[in-house]
Amino acid sequence: MIRFYQHRKIFFAISILLILSSIVAAFINGIQLDIQFKGGTIVKYTYSGQINAEQAEKIVEQAVGRTTNCQLQSNMAKDEQMLIVSLASNEALTSQEQETITSVLTKAFPDAKLALSESLTVEPFIGRHFFINGMIAIGLSFLLILVYVGLRFKNIGGLSAGAMAIVALLHDALIVTGAFIIFKIPLNDSFIAAILTIIGFSINDTIVIYDRIRENERLLGKKVSTEELVDTSITQSMTRSINTNVAVFMSITVVYIFAQIYDIGSIRAFALPMMFGIISGCYSTICIAGPLWTMWQNHKQKVKSAHA
Amino acid sequence: MKSKPVFFIIVLLTAALFLLAVFGLKIGNFELKGADKMRYGIDIRGGVEATYEPKDLDRAPTESELQAARAILETRMDASNITDRDVTVDKSNGKVIVRFPWKSDEADFDPQKAVSELGETAKLTFRDPDGNIVLEGADVKKSSAQIQQNNMQPVVTLELSNDGAVKFAQATARLIGQSISIYMDETLISAPVVRSQITGGNAEITNLESLEEASALSNKINSGALPFSLVVKNLNIISPTLGSNALSVMVMAGKVAFALVCLFMLLYYRIPGLVACIALLLQVTGQLLALSIPQFTLTLPGIAGVILSIGMGVDANVIVSERIKEELNTGKTLRSAINSGFERAFSSVFDGNITVMIVAIILIIFGSGSMLSFGYTLLCGVIMNFVAGVTASRLMIRSLSNFKALQRPQYYGAKEAVK
Repeated sequence: MIRFYQHRKIFFAISILLILSSIVAAFINGIQLDIQFKGGTIVKYTYSGQINAEQAEKIVEQAVGRTTNCQLQSNMAKDEQMLIVSLASNEALTSQEQETITSVLTKAFPDAKLALSESLTVEPFIGRHFFINGMIAIGLSFLLILVYVGLRFKNIGGLSAGAMAIVALLHDALIVTGAFIIFKIPLNDSFIAAILTIIGFSINDTIVIYDRIRENERLLGKKVSTEELVDTSITQSMTRSINTNVAVFMSITVVYIFAQIYDIGSIRAFALPMMFGIISGCYSTICIAGPLWTMWQNHKQKVKSAHA
Repeated sequence: MKSKPVFFIIVLLTAALFLLAVFGLKIGNFELKGADKMRYGIDIRGGVEATYEPKDLDRAPTESELQAARAILETRMDASNITDRDVTVDKSNGKVIVRFPWKSDEADFDPQKAVSELGETAKLTFRDPDGNIVLEGADVKKSSAQIQQNNMQPVVTLELSNDGAVKFAQATARLIGQSISIYMDETLISAPVVRSQITGGNAEITNLESLEEASALSNKINSGALPFSLVVKNLNIISPTLGSNALSVMVMAGKVAFALVCLFMLLYYRIPGLVACIALLLQVTGQLLALSIPQFTLTLPGIAGVILSIGMGVDANVIVSERIKEELNTGKTLRSAINSGFERAFSSVFDGNITVMIVAIILIIFGSGSMLSFGYTLLCGVIMNFVAGVTASRLMIRSLSNFKALQRPQYYGAKEAVK
C-alpha cells in the first residue's frame, strides 16, 4: 500500500504550483482567442520565391481598408512557404473582399505563384455564440458527472465523491488551458473538445478508484480507517491507471508526432494540450481526488463525533 | 469444452467485418461509387463551406423565403456544374449553408469567386421567343405549387403585382400559342406555352410531371421575388492538396498507434493482451462501419477521435486483466479467476464508459463543424467498447482457457510461484 494520504500536502503543493504557473503564463503570453471565437478572417496562400510580409500587409490594407496582419511560414516537410493574412474585423469579410485580396496580392507578387490554400471567415457574433456554447458544454458536463457519480456511489457518500471528482476535473481543465496558453495556441473549438475529452477521460479514471473504494468498503467494512481504505483502493487500481494512461498517451503522442512532422496545424494544436491533460488526469485521480475525499470524510466524522 | 471454437469464430467474424469496413474505405479512396463510400469533411477532401444570410433584412426570413434562397443557390450550382453538393436550410437561425468539394483536378477553380457569385441577387425574367423581357422578378408577388382539384394535376400558380398583371395581360394577348421562357439569371428554368390571354394577375403553369417538380419551379420563381440578397457570413475554404495529405498522415498515425498499443498489451498481458488486440480491432471496425453505413461525415478531428479511442479502448481489457491477475494470485483456479475478474470489473467499466458517453453526447450537441465528428467517433468508440472490450473479450478468454496448452496461470499474469 502506498501512503497517498500522508503525502497529500506535497501533491497539493505540486498542483497549486502548476496552476499558478499557468496563471502567470496567462499574464505573460495573454489568452488568445482564435478567430473561430472572436470573429475575423484568415486567408492562407502557398507561394514560392520571395514575398515581403510588410509590403503585403500594406497592399491588403489599402485594398480592403481593414487592419491586416501578414505572416510568413515555411514548412520543412513539404518544401513550401505560406503567406498567412489575418484580418480582425467587427464585420466578417465578404467573399468579394477576399477575392480582391487574392487579386491584389497576385498582381503585386506575379512571380510567387500564389495559390489559395485555406480560408476561414467567422462573423464575430457567431464566434461569440460558439464560445458561449463551448463554455455551456463544459459546465453541463461537470453538472451531469456530479449527478451521475452522486447517484451511482450513494453508499460511499456520492455527492462528496462527486464534488471531489469535480475538483480534480477542474484541476485538469486548468492544466489543459495552461498548456494552450504556454504554447501560445489560440483557443478555438478544439480547445473545447480537448477539455471535454480530458474531463471524460479523467473522470473515468476516478470512477475506477471510487468503484474499488465501494467494493473494499463492503469487504473490509469498518475494520479500517478511511485513510487506509482509500490508500489501499488507489494502490490496487494503480497498475491499471498507469497502463491505461500509457496506452492513451502513446496514441495521442503518435498523433502529435505525425501532425508535427507533416505540419497539420489543426491536429497539432489539439493533440499537444491533450498530452498534458492525460498526464494531469492520471495524476489528479491518484494524488488529488482520493486524498481530498478522505479529508472530507474525516472531517465529517469529526463533526459527527463532536456532536455525539 | 464446447466453447473452444468460439475464439476462432470471433476472430474470423472480426476479420470479415474489418475487411468489409476497409473495402469500403478503399472504394472511397479510389472514388468508386458504392454504398459504403466514406464521406469526408471538407478538411479532408478539400472544399468550401459557406453560410449565407439575408443581407440588410431587419426581420427573420420566412421559411418559404429560405426555400427560395436555397433554390437560387442550387440552380446556380447546377449552372456551374457543381453537382456534388449539400445545401441545408437552418430555419431557426435564418441561414442557408452550402458545402461543396473542391476537387484536386480543378486547378483553375476559384472558390472565392464561386462563393461570391452564388450569393448575388437572383435575376428572374420572363422572356418572349425573341428574347425580349416581358416580366421581371419584382412583378411576381408570389408563386406556389399545388395539386389541381379537378384533375389531380400538379400546377404552379403565379400571383402578379398590379403592374405585372398589366404587362402580363399584354404579353399573353400577343403570344397565344407561343411559349414564354422563364430564366433565372441566364438559365432557362421553364418554357410554358400560352393558351389564352391572362388578365387579372393570376396565372397557372400546367403540364408538370410531379408535385416535386412544381415546387422546385415555384421556389425558383419566388427567389426572383426575394426581398433580399444573400451575403456570406461564415466561410471556410480548404484546398484539396492540403486535405488529402492530412488524411494519409492521420491514417498512418492510426496504424502506428494501433500497433504500439497492441504490442504493449501483448507484452504486458500475454493472453488477455492478445484478446485485447482483437477486441480493439473489432472496436475500430465498428467505428468505421458506424461512419460509413449512415454516411456520417468524417473530419480530421474525427480520425483523431478514432485514434484516441484506440488508447482508451484497452481500458476495459486492462481492468479485467488486472482483476484476473489478482484473483489468480489469491490462489483461485483459472476458470473462476476469469469469471470473477469479469464480474468485478464490470461495474467500473460500466460507470467509466457512461461518463465518457455523457461527454461525447455533449460534444455532439454543442460541437460545431468538424468537432462534431470527433464527438461521434468517440461515442461510437465507447459503445463498441462495451461490445468488444467486455462481451467479445469475455467469450474469447473463456474459449482460449479451454485449451490445455493455454492453462498456465502465468499466461494470465499470475506470479510464477502460484499454482
